[in-house]
Amino acid sequence: MTPTDTQPELRDDLLLCYCTMLTIGQLRAACNAGRWPLDGKENTGKLCTACVGDLLYCLRRFGVDASL
Amino acid sequence: MSATFYERGYDHHVEIIHQRDAEARRRLESLEVTLYDAAGVLLATPKVDPAQEILNLGALVADTTNTSERVMVVLDARYDEAIFPYRPHHYAYLHRAGSSAPPLYYAINAVLGGVPDRVGATNINNFETYVFRQGPFAQRHSVLLGCLARFVPAQVQVFTYYGSRRIARDVTLAPKCHVEVPLAAEHEGERLARVEVKSLFRLLSYVVGRREDTGDLVLFDHLFTYVK
Repeated sequence: MTPTDTQPELRDDLLLCYCTMLTIGQLRAACNAGRWPLDGKENTGKLCTACVGDLLYCLRRFGVDASL
Repeated sequence: MSATFYERGYDHHVEIIHQRDAEARRRLESLEVTLYDAAGVLLATPKVDPAQEILNLGALVADTTNTSERVMVVLDARYDEAIFPYRPHHYAYLHRAGSSAPPLYYAINAVLGGVPDRVGATNINNFETYVFRQGPFAQRHSVLLGCLARFVPAQVQVFTYYGSRRIARDVTLAPKCHVEVPLAAEHEGERLARVEVKSLFRLLSYVVGRREDTGDLVLFDHLFTYVK
């Protein structure tokens, strides 16, 4: 079993941030295009804060060196 | 997304609809309910009519699971986004069946979402505190914590204050796991004065008081954030 096998699936349709309405698919596309943070999504993770851990995890999975 | 905890033997009713005006009664467009045990195992995703006013958690848990343990109940509710663009939250009634303890009415903890971006409220809300009454009362206190993250565990610190002494406790919660962290009533002769919960991101959290003799809940409340 490779480490990838143990990683949770990141479904594109999953709503990551319920405050800015950012989906994982949007985040993935932005990271792939080198355009994170997207216009209008800069507050992702900063409002209710409940998705911060998941946001940082996803950013790292998508190759972005992320920290708070 | 809001969440609470259900324990067997309690009348626990959630008020679903709370937005009304003289013109109309506005119902939820959708309500998704998920139930998790303490290990984060998904127990059930019961179908719930979003038009109903009161959700009976006791019946819901009994009808859809066979557990007798504490259950984390997650409520993902939506209005028509053209009317009410952010996530509604709920209030609940809680009382142990047959108990002489007074019933409790509380605001269900808003965890994920509920802070619309247009408000621009970026104050820290993942450091929380609760100050206890100093009069003697026969209760056992604790904090109930739940992790609604999808992918990462929560590293949590629970601090309790007794006079000038602070006691720290580390807790790790995997996604969808929950735990009750007991708080000692006294330490070196000083009474429990305050509790703090700190984590990287917002958790589901309630401060709880139980009767010493029966264990009946007599306090079930959210903590308060430091910065408003």
